[in-house]
Amino acid sequence: MFLTIQNPQGVASQLDLRRKRLTKMTLIWGGIILFIAWCVSGTIIQDTDWSRIGGRNGVLAGISRYFWLDLNLLPELIIPTLETFMMACVGTVLGCFFSLPVAWLGAANVTPSKTILYPLGRFLMVLSRSVHEIVWALIFVSAVGLGALPGILAIAMRSVGFISKITAEAIENIDAKPVEAIRAVGGNQFQVMYYGILPQIYPVVLATVIFEWDINIRRSAVMGLVGAGGLGLLFFRQMNSFNYGGVSMVILAILLLIVLGEVISHYLRKAVI
Amino acid sequence: MVDQHTPPKWSRYKYPESLYKHGTLLIVLLFLGYSLHFLNVDIPLLLGALGGLVGVVGDRYYPPDVAYVLDRGYLAAILDTLQMSFLGGFAGVCLAIPLAWFSAWNVSPNRRVFFPIGRLGVISCRAIHETIWTILFVSVLGFGMLAGVSALTMFCVGFAGKLFADEIEAIEMGPVEAMRSAGANPFQVFLYAVVPQVRVAFTGIAIYTWDVAFRAATVVGFFGGGGMGWYLKRNVQQLENLRVAAIILSIIAMVLVAEFLSGWLRATVNRAK
Repeated sequence: MFLTIQNPQGVASQLDLRRKRLTKMTLIWGGIILFIAWCVSGTIIQDTDWSRIGGRNGVLAGISRYFWLDLNLLPELIIPTLETFMMACVGTVLGCFFSLPVAWLGAANVTPSKTILYPLGRFLMVLSRSVHEIVWALIFVSAVGLGALPGILAIAMRSVGFISKITAEAIENIDAKPVEAIRAVGGNQFQVMYYGILPQIYPVVLATVIFEWDINIRRSAVMGLVGAGGLGLLFFRQMNSFNYGGVSMVILAILLLIVLGEVISHYLRKAVI
Repeated sequence: MVDQHTPPKWSRYKYPESLYKHGTLLIVLLFLGYSLHFLNVDIPLLLGALGGLVGVVGDRYYPPDVAYVLDRGYLAAILDTLQMSFLGGFAGVCLAIPLAWFSAWNVSPNRRVFFPIGRLGVISCRAIHETIWTILFVSVLGFGMLAGVSALTMFCVGFAGKLFADEIEAIEMGPVEAMRSAGANPFQVFLYAVVPQVRVAFTGIAIYTWDVAFRAATVVGFFGGGGMGWYLKRNVQQLENLRVAAIILSIIAMVLVAEFLSGWLRATVNRAK
């Protein structure tokens, strides 16, 4: 088969481009691999006490402890599971209330002051997301004491960032015409909010809240590790009494709760959108 | 004489719809009220919590002990955290790509065998919170960064696997059909029909995964995984509140830097495609 090259210069420039691209990719991947080697030597090779792990048998023995399920724990699981679920629900709703003012401040078209309050709203969103839920829980445990309340507050604070960010973006993207129409027929500020803005952002916000609720179940399951109630507390107690079968039971309960939450949120989101 | 008839009363929802809407709202509110009762939440404490938070922060956590976080040991811990997050993110992404391939319904190599394996793997990694992974790995591998890196790997598999699978399920099916009709095996289909379409999106998701993994890495140490979290735990237990405040501030600062960096990298990748 003969192949005639009609535009040798074009082919040459194409080849040149390809060579340049290859060099670039090689450099990027070489850099990544060198960086990984440095990380591996720093964190894993130097920092690990290999003799303590005890080779393959030690690891296998460590894992196999978890397989003897402790079925006696079953009746004790019910109330913490309910608590975890309720903490997630209440925390999400509280988070919605907290995120209303933040979204109002952080949406560019409705914010009361663009120079001072808009950056403040944006900063609050980032602050809420950048602090991990465990750290929030620690702060609230020291502020309001042990129990379910610090867990609820920590979940609420952690949810504010995501919910208010999406809400603010939804408010920024609304259609201004219904708002003007309601103003034109004499609606007051509240009626503009309730009939003009709310119906437009309502599906997006509700879907986001349901999504966040799904994640919050996951979060509320670990709140007990730092002193708030729920399944985390039971996990912590089973772990500290070296009852590994009980630990597996708690993890199974968490899995069940989360699968349930995922199914519910899937159908709810379908119903909303 | 003005006509006396009353104006027609307008409401947003007509009769049966309004009943469902308000009924659902009522049920949700009743459930929330019952949850507050069940969880023994002190309502006045809940209402005063944010004010209390300001009081507690001003009282106990101010001024933060900045000199402590500028110490050499702590700066090394920040570097450790960075390395852990990078390693965990990289290993997690490497494991997540095959799992996402298995769990994408449209290109899964075998819908009976590989699809459930992929789905189950991703879901179980996602369902269990990173702190619980850390505790489990610490109990098997001992304290140190190896446990932290393993926990972050599991977390990133769950996080990236879902996003990758969603991305694969949204591809153009034309090239896939073409490869299949030419007799390519599933691996060839994945390599030549799927990867070129999702390459850029995967890079973006991988960078985002690192960002999220860094956020998680800041608390992995709290449960024995090494890094900044270990300092946090020590100072929380010693009630060194001023140091805790400084550590939390340093976490926020580092997360902001990571977020900025990942945003910049993602923008660069999107431009270079």
